[in-house]
Amino acid sequence: MSPNTEKACYASFVDSSEIRLSASPLEGTDVQALRREIAALRAELAETQKTTNQYLQNVAHQLTAPLNAIKWSIEAIKDPAVSIPRKMKLLSSIYSQGTILVHLIKNFSLMSNLETDNELGQFRNSPERVDPFRLAVNLANDFQPQAAEGGKKFDVDEPSFERILHGRKLLAVKNLVAQALSNLLENAVKYADLKTAIRVEAVNVHIVEGAKAQFGIAVRSVGLPIYGDEVKKLLNRGVRGTTAQQRIPAGTGIGLYIANRIMAIHQGTIYIQAKGKESSFTLVFPEARIK
Amino acid sequence: MSGYGVVLLVDDEPWFSEALAFTLESRGFECIIATDMSLAVAALRTHQASVVVTDIMMPAGSAFPKIDASESGFKFIEFVQKNWPGLPIVCLSVIGDQTKIDSLMDRGVRYLRKGETPLGTAVEIISAVATGRRIRL
Repeated sequence: MSPNTEKACYASFVDSSEIRLSASPLEGTDVQALRREIAALRAELAETQKTTNQYLQNVAHQLTAPLNAIKWSIEAIKDPAVSIPRKMKLLSSIYSQGTILVHLIKNFSLMSNLETDNELGQFRNSPERVDPFRLAVNLANDFQPQAAEGGKKFDVDEPSFERILHGRKLLAVKNLVAQALSNLLENAVKYADLKTAIRVEAVNVHIVEGAKAQFGIAVRSVGLPIYGDEVKKLLNRGVRGTTAQQRIPAGTGIGLYIANRIMAIHQGTIYIQAKGKESSFTLVFPEARIK
Repeated sequence: MSGYGVVLLVDDEPWFSEALAFTLESRGFECIIATDMSLAVAALRTHQASVVVTDIMMPAGSAFPKIDASESGFKFIEFVQKNWPGLPIVCLSVIGDQTKIDSLMDRGVRYLRKGETPLGTAVEIISAVATGRRIRL
């Protein structure tokens, strides 16, 4: 950069930031400060780009891994030497991979819509009366083949829904709440210990002591421990727990973030409790949404 | 005991191992599937494997708590070559860094790119490596 160019650049900084130091003895010091700030911003930008690239690579892996597994399963099914029961097992795996892919793609497509909806504070689709128990059962059935591969099973507690709702329904955008609950169920399938039960139940939640209880759908599982300080961060975009990353290295860290955005637009929240290997993630709805 | 030998498949994505195992087993191999480095090492201590087929990015497991999941496959390969010298290794993974691939190949590891290698080709190569058969692909 020539001295003249540097001077011109400095002049533009002076104009834009209202720094008037042209004849001041501090001029050199301020230029140095601005240069340091520019260097810091460049470093920050480089770091952001690096993180973005890593994230995109991770997303690409998440999308291609199930497709590649499906390709191999199809090749194995076409092999006449592979037995019929094993072909059936491979078909079940293809179904699971399909579920994972559909779920993942839905999350990605929801991301931009949810940002806009939250900013506008309004729904894209009209809320409808949803039966939370039926929704939980249907979604649990969808993930059951995946769960069964690890000897895990879903236990949707019907009496808890009857006891708390007394036939009332949830006023919500069904596909959004389904996606939020799916994200919790998928995490439970991924991170629960082998041969354990994943319990889905209706609960009354007292988030603030003394406040009126709110309706919640809780997903409880036994598996990876979540450390205290991580609980607060899990709802942030791209964040995954330490133990989760150790067990399953690849992951996008957007499931809980999206679920939380969905709950925010329903004026609800996600309540996380963790103790040792036990954890529960609860979608909490305001009383006004129970009709 | 199988007629062709034991293949140890190490991958935390069981769907890949499953399709590979079913096809190899239909050709007379016995397959053992391990989903992390610790389980793989334990399997090697109890079985006489003819070949190890391993991914790179996978959990290290409880026996190796200090190894990061992003590089556990490399550490596992080093561990196998140190403790079971001469045991053939096939790396089935997606490695972006060519220098790392070259480094593996320099150490006698066969590299197959996951997702781009057809199952039939992978089975042919693994079978050949396990049985010491020469193959030209």
